[in-house]
Amino acid sequence: MAETNGNSGNGAPAGNGSGGKSVLTTLVEGSKEVKDRALKEIETYKKPEKTDLWKSILRVKHDETPRSRALGVLSNVFLHLHPAKINRDAVAYNYTWGMGGISFYIYIVLVFTGALLMFYYHPSKVVAFRDILYLEHDVPFGKLLRNMHRWAAHLMVITVELHMFRVFLTGSYKRPREFNWVVGVILLVLTLLLSFTGYLLPDDQLGFWAVTVGTNMARATPLLGHDGPFGLELGMTPFNDVRFALLGGSIVDSNALLRAYIWHCVAIPIIASAFMVVHFWRIRKDGGISGPAPVMLESEIKERR
Amino acid sequence: MSDPNNPIPEQDPVVHSSLSKPLYISAALLVLCTVWALYDEVYAMRPWKSYQSRFAALYSEYLKKITPVEEADETKVKASGEYKRMEQQMADLRAKLGPKMSEMEREINQVLTPKIIDLNNAYQVLRSEISALTYQIEVASSDSSKNSLRADIEEIKKRMESVSLPEPDGALKKYEYSYAKMEEDLAKWRERKTQLLDRLAETRKPIMELDEKMSRFVADRGPELSGSVLRGLRAKLDNWDISIRQIHVRDVDLVDRCESCHLGIREPVTITAADMNGERAFTSHPRKELLKIHDPERFGCSPCHNGNGIATSSVTKGHGRHKYWLWPLYYPENVQAGCQHCHVKEIVTEFATALNEGRELFRRRGCIGCHRYEAYDRDWEELVATGQTIRNLEQQRADYQREIGVSTRRADVAKENSEAQRLYQHADNLRIRISGIDSRIEQLDLRTSDLWKEVKKVGPNLKDVRLKLRKEWVPVWIKDPHAWRPGAKMPTFRLTEEEVRAISAFIWQSGVNGPLAKHPQGNAERGKEALETRGCLACHSIGEGSQQEGGDFAANLSRMGEKINYDYMVRWIDNPRQRTLPYDPHEKRDLTEEDYKKAGVPFVFDNEHTVSPVNGRQLLVQNMTTMPHMRLSIEEARDIATYLMTRKRASFSFPPAGFMDDPKLKDRGRFLVRHYGCAACHEIAGLEDEQRIGTELTKEGSKPLERLDFALLTHDAYKEGWYNHKGFFENKLKNPAVFDKGKEKTDPLERLKMPNFNLEKKEVDALTTFLLGSVESPLPPRYHYNPPGQKQDIIEGWWLVRKYNCMGCHQLLIGQETVFMKMKRYEDPDWKEQRPPSLIGEGARVNPGWLKEFLENPALSESNKDRNGVRTYLKARMPTFYFSDGELRKLVLFFEALSNQAQPFIPSRLDPITEQERLLARALFTSEGAPCLKCHATGDPAHDARATAPNFVTAGQRLKPGWTKRWLLDPAMMIPGTAMPSGLFAREGDRWVFAGPLPAGFQNYRKDHADLLVRYMFSFTPDELARMRSSARSGN
Amino acid sequence: MDWHQLWTILATPDNVPITLLLFVIPFYTWYGLRQSLANDRLIEKLEADPALAKTHHRKTQPYRPEWAREVHVWPYLLRIEFLAAIIVTIILFVWSIVLNAPLEEPANPTLTMNPSKAPWYFLGLQEMLVYFDPWMAGVVLPSLIIVGLMVIPYIDENPLGNGYYVYKQRKFAIWTFIFGFIILWVSMIIIGTMIRGPGWMWFWPGQTWDHNRLIFEVNRDLHEILGIRNRWVAFFLGGGATTLYLVGAAIGIHKLITLTPFSKKIYKRMSLLQYVTMQIFLITMLSLPVKMVLRLLFRIKYVWVTPWFNI
Repeated sequence: MAETNGNSGNGAPAGNGSGGKSVLTTLVEGSKEVKDRALKEIETYKKPEKTDLWKSILRVKHDETPRSRALGVLSNVFLHLHPAKINRDAVAYNYTWGMGGISFYIYIVLVFTGALLMFYYHPSKVVAFRDILYLEHDVPFGKLLRNMHRWAAHLMVITVELHMFRVFLTGSYKRPREFNWVVGVILLVLTLLLSFTGYLLPDDQLGFWAVTVGTNMARATPLLGHDGPFGLELGMTPFNDVRFALLGGSIVDSNALLRAYIWHCVAIPIIASAFMVVHFWRIRKDGGISGPAPVMLESEIKERR
Repeated sequence: MSDPNNPIPEQDPVVHSSLSKPLYISAALLVLCTVWALYDEVYAMRPWKSYQSRFAALYSEYLKKITPVEEADETKVKASGEYKRMEQQMADLRAKLGPKMSEMEREINQVLTPKIIDLNNAYQVLRSEISALTYQIEVASSDSSKNSLRADIEEIKKRMESVSLPEPDGALKKYEYSYAKMEEDLAKWRERKTQLLDRLAETRKPIMELDEKMSRFVADRGPELSGSVLRGLRAKLDNWDISIRQIHVRDVDLVDRCESCHLGIREPVTITAADMNGERAFTSHPRKELLKIHDPERFGCSPCHNGNGIATSSVTKGHGRHKYWLWPLYYPENVQAGCQHCHVKEIVTEFATALNEGRELFRRRGCIGCHRYEAYDRDWEELVATGQTIRNLEQQRADYQREIGVSTRRADVAKENSEAQRLYQHADNLRIRISGIDSRIEQLDLRTSDLWKEVKKVGPNLKDVRLKLRKEWVPVWIKDPHAWRPGAKMPTFRLTEEEVRAISAFIWQSGVNGPLAKHPQGNAERGKEALETRGCLACHSIGEGSQQEGGDFAANLSRMGEKINYDYMVRWIDNPRQRTLPYDPHEKRDLTEEDYKKAGVPFVFDNEHTVSPVNGRQLLVQNMTTMPHMRLSIEEARDIATYLMTRKRASFSFPPAGFMDDPKLKDRGRFLVRHYGCAACHEIAGLEDEQRIGTELTKEGSKPLERLDFALLTHDAYKEGWYNHKGFFENKLKNPAVFDKGKEKTDPLERLKMPNFNLEKKEVDALTTFLLGSVESPLPPRYHYNPPGQKQDIIEGWWLVRKYNCMGCHQLLIGQETVFMKMKRYEDPDWKEQRPPSLIGEGARVNPGWLKEFLENPALSESNKDRNGVRTYLKARMPTFYFSDGELRKLVLFFEALSNQAQPFIPSRLDPITEQERLLARALFTSEGAPCLKCHATGDPAHDARATAPNFVTAGQRLKPGWTKRWLLDPAMMIPGTAMPSGLFAREGDRWVFAGPLPAGFQNYRKDHADLLVRYMFSFTPDELARMRSSARSGN
Repeated sequence: MDWHQLWTILATPDNVPITLLLFVIPFYTWYGLRQSLANDRLIEKLEADPALAKTHHRKTQPYRPEWAREVHVWPYLLRIEFLAAIIVTIILFVWSIVLNAPLEEPANPTLTMNPSKAPWYFLGLQEMLVYFDPWMAGVVLPSLIIVGLMVIPYIDENPLGNGYYVYKQRKFAIWTFIFGFIILWVSMIIIGTMIRGPGWMWFWPGQTWDHNRLIFEVNRDLHEILGIRNRWVAFFLGGGATTLYLVGAAIGIHKLITLTPFSKKIYKRMSLLQYVTMQIFLITMLSLPVKMVLRLLFRIKYVWVTPWFNI
């Protein structure tokens, strides 16, 4: 297309001008020629999927042939974690409950809303609280945004736990998927931590005391907390123990706020995403989702190695 | 597999089942949700939008309604002859000046300006070219290149540019211009232009002035709003834009959007709810003058009114009435709480009547006795502090003494001579220091005696009970004061019978026995008259129910006869400050005659004899009551006492109270008295320096709600919607025991102590307002009312005015009512003269030095105290308050500041009055036309009996000349309805001339008559008075 | 019955998730177990009839040989995922339009909230604080829970029930998990949210959360109950009691593991390490309910008091 445009652009090529014909006639012919081309091209645009542009973006034509269906998945960066084909029963909702996928989707929602919220939030005392008020009253859709973020977070905790429940009930953690289960557990913990670190950010009584209660447990860590067993023996004080490390101080204050912010918005999301990648990758590598597998009979148990 | 109850379908369900239906449905739902969210964002969360459109509609309707009315009287004004005349003038002016001006304008706009513009363009081109070259010269390296460049510039300057300039008729004409020529012409033309502009302005001036005058004329006589303003408003409404109206004060991070709904608040029109068919949200601010003082652009709304200024999502949110919002909007009855946020230091704040009432109640009803409140009990606190300082200083003194001894001794034994010298020197230095300390102690001691004059107690001194009261009455009173005297100042405590007995026993037994002179009976009739006219009723009230008359500052005197002892009463009326025995704060006991005997000093204690014979410290020599000394004759005192003794119910009887002498009860009683904090308001033997028993209330309003103990009522409060500060305060004040409700408290001592004041709704509201306002203000200090200089004096002064109830007799605030104005007798015209003088503008009127003298000794005479210093004709008596020096100073400064007089006062010098001027003045004074002596006292008893105005003798030291002249010219202006006639003088050229028939000799007197009289008065002497009197008599 | 109170608890925006749990968890438990039972029936049938076992496709899902064994992800899976995404979005939308995220007063360290609660998903831990010291409830147990979850695949030697719902073949595993997840974790959360009121006191649903409420409860240590004064005797007694529990629990659990011949078979497959790990975790898990009973019924604070830590 490009070159055709180029041609039509500079109208009649000078070369044609040679010979006895007058400039005028060449011009006329040239323009006629351009016109025909243009018409031709317009014809082709009637089928956009035929254009190079289209092809460059979507490599596959979406007809119902098995091949293109497979390619549709394989050649799509978002879908390629999926295999082209799966066990016919694996699509059954009553088996998967879809909780894993939903959790992931909610995570995306959270990242999206969270990023938007970050535009309006300063992690420092007094300002933080005011920012929330502004979010509620000034920012277009700010209220909706904040609500969505919070409720999505809660929902995610639930879905993740349900996902774990399902995986256990179907014994999907068994060989060869043991490690992915471990990753899953880590992801569960990360989910909780994400939600927890977010709790303090509005800097209101609710968050403040929730975090106070939460972190007060840390002071009782054996060996590492100044209230914990053998803590004092190891020279733990409120100013050097694990709680201090968490809060960046001996009390929940602006430092704690800042730390919570960093953990919540930067550190944990990155870690979690990394683990998610592993999680999904392993699903594929461990042979797709576990089932529904054909039931196994007691009589068929083989002795170990 | 073949399962009968669910057979296997032919088609593969996974592949052939269609999901499109659920997909469509959910997609549709999703769209719906999005729409919903949008609606929620745009309307549901933005109720103010509908408010604004509603306002616009109602308001424009209202404006339409009023416009004709307003315009009508505007046109009326314009129709008036004077306005017409002005219009005529205007027309003439325009006719005269019009052509000249238009000529000038023409030249400016059509000739000069276009030429200048065009030429300037050309000029700028050359100039930029040159400046570019100049820059190159500056940066060029070699001189040669510099020179060549310079040459270029010269080139350009020489070059001839052809510029086409517009002619007046608009045609273009070419001119040849060199750079220099351009500059020259531009300068010339600009010059000319400015000249013309000046001239134009000059010519236009008269028109401007007249125009100004006309509009002022309309504004003065015309309607609230001129038609033009109204038109402006309506125009605004016609293209009304619906948007957030917000006030933002950056440095306080204050954002108030109240006006997004309350759109009428700052409208120039006064809008009532009625005008907006009942929409209270749209009314204009009820006190516009307040907005003038506190410009909303600087103060916003929420700093005074509270509420959630940012919130716009709902009324509840905006008013901050939702859970977790710490600063809910004040309800109307408490709205003045907002003033207290910043006006903390004041006890009287203008406009804030309810708040003032609350503050006053807090002080007068004795709340302050149990609850500390910043600045409400300064004299006591200062007293304690000074005492402490004195002790420290003495300690230091002792230390120095010791050190002196030590170093002298060391010096005596020192080996080195120099060493010895140093030590002696040191000792001497210390001696000097000690002398310094002594002088400081002396000062503090003086201050202490001052303070002992200033401290007052809310309730009477209970040391005198034995002398003062009928024994049986005491328990009756203690049990329930309000039962015996409704509206009594003393609250009702929740006491058991046993407690009452114990307390009254203790009180009775701790009372002192002192000398009490016996007095013969007086005449009740005269007593009654005296009580009603001498001014007792400015503070006290008498009569019950509908009969009640007088002020509520002090006790109601009805039923006095039932409780009081006559002889004590006489002594009290004669001088309430007189103590039975002096109290020594260091010995912590009352000194008796013995103490004085031991020290070998006469047993006298009064404001002159305040030093303790025991330890040379300051004593408390007067009763800690605000009741002043009326300086009545002893006979009159007896009369009043006799009258009061007759004030009792026809038949009354009190149960016998033998137990009150039972010593066994004393300790128990003492314990209870301390437990209930009686000593907070009363002076009680042995409990003189008791501590407060209540919580401090200075910041009560911002105390976290969780810290206010609603006890078992928490949940009811929550459900009934009074779980907030207002609710707590109101209920607590209405019934202090309320939060004991349902509590199981077997020991009465566990119960809440606060007694019941039986406050009326109005009083409860006032106090609630005061408490709600007592907060930790989030605003920066500069918002707090802490004015410099004289305004401080005013703040200070009000505390005293309140303390001594000056406003009972005198008018200090414009529009304020004194007790006298309310009394029936004083409504009678003959008695109006008898009302105590209004003190508005007092500072401007009197000489501060004199004022101090007067306040100290209102009799203004050492010999005869039974008189009024100034207005001898007044029956009401200006009493002696025995102010401390500090108080005197404050009061004088207060009055000066109130009428913003410069400090310190320097009397203006009057040119001395010549003998012949004096004659003239005297003549004028005594002339028929000038009825001065009809009212003004002259010192001649026969005449003064009828006199209703002060004597001139005092005028000299008393008044300020400036004021006196203004008073002569137009007294009605200062005190409307005064007996002093106005219009005595008429303006004649540059001087005031007496309006009435002039006595002989004035024909060739060219000076100002008013001045003459003033100067005469200020050089007035008793014998001059005598002369005047005689001439007056001879005159008529 | 204070309906107002009950309503305020349930309607507190932050409690909505728990209210949700109340319905969601039972539903899915039922949903899962139903399929397990279906599979059980199928297994029985196959066990009974080896011939069928050879031919049968061994799933409860309908099946015909001519049907494709595998289907395309696009569209057959993706359309479902897509649908799910939309539905979740709708739920979130409605939820966040209807309910506002809570925002209380600005943080105020001097003013303690009563009750001050952790976020709901940690209320299990906060509730544990009642029964154990912080170091135990706040640190040790949580870490054990995490690790315990992680090791599950490595100690579960049962090869059956891999990839399909089943009950009979995994009775023990399923019961343990349901016990740990639902009985302990979820119910503790629910107690923490709905039952624990001011002062972390126990309020039955519909009881008014009264801040002034006082209840009489003395929790004494075991040795105090037995009236032992001497520290060391107490120490050893406590230690004894604890060991007693450990041994008892170990035996009990062992009995459970080897209850049926099948479970015996599994037990045989386990390595010693696996067995011990399993014991440790199960014992600790069991200690929680035991301690709860001791505390709530017998008002015993600590069983074992030492200078360094108390249990």
